[in-house]
Amino acid sequence: MRNPLADVPVPLLDDLIDDEYVRSLVVGVVGTLGLLGLFGLLFPGSVAGDLAGIVFSTSTAASTARLAAPIVLAGLGGIFAEKSGVINIGLEGLLIISAFASVYVASVVGIGNAVLGIPAIWIGFMAGIAASTLLAGVFGVVCIEFKADQIIAGLAVWLIALGLAPFMSTVFFGGVNTPNLGANVGWRYSAVMVVVATVASWWALNRTAFGKHLEASGENPKALDTVGVSVSRVRYAGVLLSGVLSGVGGSALALSIGQFVGSGETMVQGKGFIAIVAYLFGNYNPLGTLGAGVLFAGLDAIQIRLQQLGYAVPDTLVQTIPYVVVIVVLALVGRTRLPAAAGDHYETEE
Amino acid sequence: MSGRDGGRLPAIVRRVLEPFVDRSVAERVLISLAAILLSIGVGFAIVLVSGRIAQCSTAAWTMPVTGLGFCYDPIEVYVVLFNGALGYPFAVGEPGIFNAAWTPFNLSFGLTLSETTLLVFTGLSVAVAFRAGLFNIGTQGQLVVGALATALTVLAIAPLLPAGPIAGVVVVAVGTLAGAVGGGLWGAIPGALKAYADANEVITTIMLNFVAANVAYVLVLEVFRAEGSSVVATRYVPEYAQFRPWLFPNSSDFALLALLVAVGFIGGLYYAVEHTPFGYDLRTSGVQAAAAEYGGVNAKLTTVRAMTLSGALGGVGGAVWVLMSEGRWIESVPDLGFDGITVSILAGNNPLGVLPAAFLFGLLKGGALEIGFRTDVPTELVGVLRGLIILFVAMPEFFRMAGRYAGLGSDGPGGPGTSGTGGEDGESEASGDAAGSGSDAAAVGGGEADA
Repeated sequence: MRNPLADVPVPLLDDLIDDEYVRSLVVGVVGTLGLLGLFGLLFPGSVAGDLAGIVFSTSTAASTARLAAPIVLAGLGGIFAEKSGVINIGLEGLLIISAFASVYVASVVGIGNAVLGIPAIWIGFMAGIAASTLLAGVFGVVCIEFKADQIIAGLAVWLIALGLAPFMSTVFFGGVNTPNLGANVGWRYSAVMVVVATVASWWALNRTAFGKHLEASGENPKALDTVGVSVSRVRYAGVLLSGVLSGVGGSALALSIGQFVGSGETMVQGKGFIAIVAYLFGNYNPLGTLGAGVLFAGLDAIQIRLQQLGYAVPDTLVQTIPYVVVIVVLALVGRTRLPAAAGDHYETEE
Repeated sequence: MSGRDGGRLPAIVRRVLEPFVDRSVAERVLISLAAILLSIGVGFAIVLVSGRIAQCSTAAWTMPVTGLGFCYDPIEVYVVLFNGALGYPFAVGEPGIFNAAWTPFNLSFGLTLSETTLLVFTGLSVAVAFRAGLFNIGTQGQLVVGALATALTVLAIAPLLPAGPIAGVVVVAVGTLAGAVGGGLWGAIPGALKAYADANEVITTIMLNFVAANVAYVLVLEVFRAEGSSVVATRYVPEYAQFRPWLFPNSSDFALLALLVAVGFIGGLYYAVEHTPFGYDLRTSGVQAAAAEYGGVNAKLTTVRAMTLSGALGGVGGAVWVLMSEGRWIESVPDLGFDGITVSILAGNNPLGVLPAAFLFGLLKGGALEIGFRTDVPTELVGVLRGLIILFVAMPEFFRMAGRYAGLGSDGPGGPGTSGTGGEDGESEASGDAAGSGSDAAAVGGGEADA
């Protein structure tokens, strides 16, 4: 199927993205938003007007940034892991564990206190990253050292975090939800982190030797082994990076409201799985992942605002929209190609 | 591992099936047992550590030699968990080993068996999909949809029939069928998306879980809510249209008949998978889709049919949940579908293994209630154990390495069955050693378990 959008020339993007699929994605999103803005301006009283008002408002931008952080960052992490040949379906678990650890450590240090001149909330932030990286490390050992089935091990990471975070919360705070810290990380920090991480990931993947090694480790590990680079090492690096990035995302999610909510599916609510769809949608390109993540987060933010405007649709049904969109997107772009050796264990040849 | 280089079957199929098909049954059983023991060991360590950090006025347990006090007693937790789930057949802290007043028909054991019954259905649901090379994480959503279909169908047809035992049988049968249809249709969606749009079923089923929960909630909230109900729930179905608890106390929500039906499903499914043409299609397209196509199997259609069957089983689980446990559809649907994944993986995706695996998780669930009553340890511990068991079952190579290290021979823990206990001890020691080289928290716990 020929994509008509692929031929649209956008000079600035052409330099940045060699991937015509991602380019058409960017053009499509910008075009849709442009049309919506135009209709909103022309017919201010209509649904389109309301919708445009929501989409282009600051509060929507703020909550989009807040909700996009875990999706985009975990998605970027997923790219590193999967490019290296380890499918990390446990991103959800990494987000949960970092969300809890960040709030826990911040509350132990105490808001208002500081360690080595670093405010408690940022200590918590780093603790979240550490917790997520540690869990990713366990996942890496299990998959790379002990040749575990990656999908099942990833599922286990999710279920362990899903049990452990509310368990610990009950141990320390007497309930599955932590009390509110009374302080939070502003949405601007989330937005900056998302943009910085996206650009850095793009640079690492496309402009460094490490990026080439990652690619080879996932596509043709034997070739990488032949030139003398350890496949296990590259894969550990990929998995640990997915832990670090998911840690940033999970900490940003929890600390942006200053609380961990552990009831039901926890406050992460499937964002780790949406992250997987985001990077598949973005075809393993960080910029595409950013676009897809912002799109999903934006849908979520818009549905929150729609409810506040009092459209007579039950909240719960509106909350379903992002999940349905994910399914539709996956059905339409389902044919993204996995790295050739993803999911396979690689045995180093002596 | 043998079969690693055996042809060009799709990576996901090979990945999912290989650990389960290539291995002897004995080895699988041993690995499952070792995984359970190791999880219990890690759980022990977690209880110990959190008991050290938590704050309480008096220590529940003091470690020998060191004299350190802990808020939680890790030994008591497991004693309460397993003894409590059976209704305390063993006397603790009193003379004698057995509790003289114990009968099998007690409340706690009934709750355990009730959970077991439900988990058999969800475990079978996941196992069938697995055999076809599909990872159905959506059993939860299929159960929610099936349960709602059952509740609404029974509420609709019950007034049309005269109340009585015969009408009861008819209503229960039709209600269960409705659950199967509802769950089956919901399961067919990811099946069709997988077959015809190549959408990864892991993601679509997870998303459909959220959709099912939300849509069912809204439907009941807006349309089918019982009048005057403080929770979002349908009306109760009539008493005669429920599975009745014979022998067991009413409040245990356990019907022996439902367990018998579940066992019947296990037998039927085992026969269907192993000895029918459909089962052949299912297994071959699970093992090697391309070869199955050459052999005349319609792999796409088989995918849809496998997911439909899987969803239908989840839906029957939902029907039994409504007709046995709750008597109505209520918003707080337990995590039976997710536990079904654990049950299936622990059972090696073999229908015959589902019963013991479901019973183990029934014990954990029944025991969790007792932990909540009798100790201060948060019941979420059971959720952690669930994840750990999956993690350890996923890494058979770990146990093989441990087995080799412990000198059980090159074939790992699949050796003589009589060396069961010795083998497990060896593994724990070996894992303790592994902790020295890596940051494997799991291995540390394995060492602790013997301490």
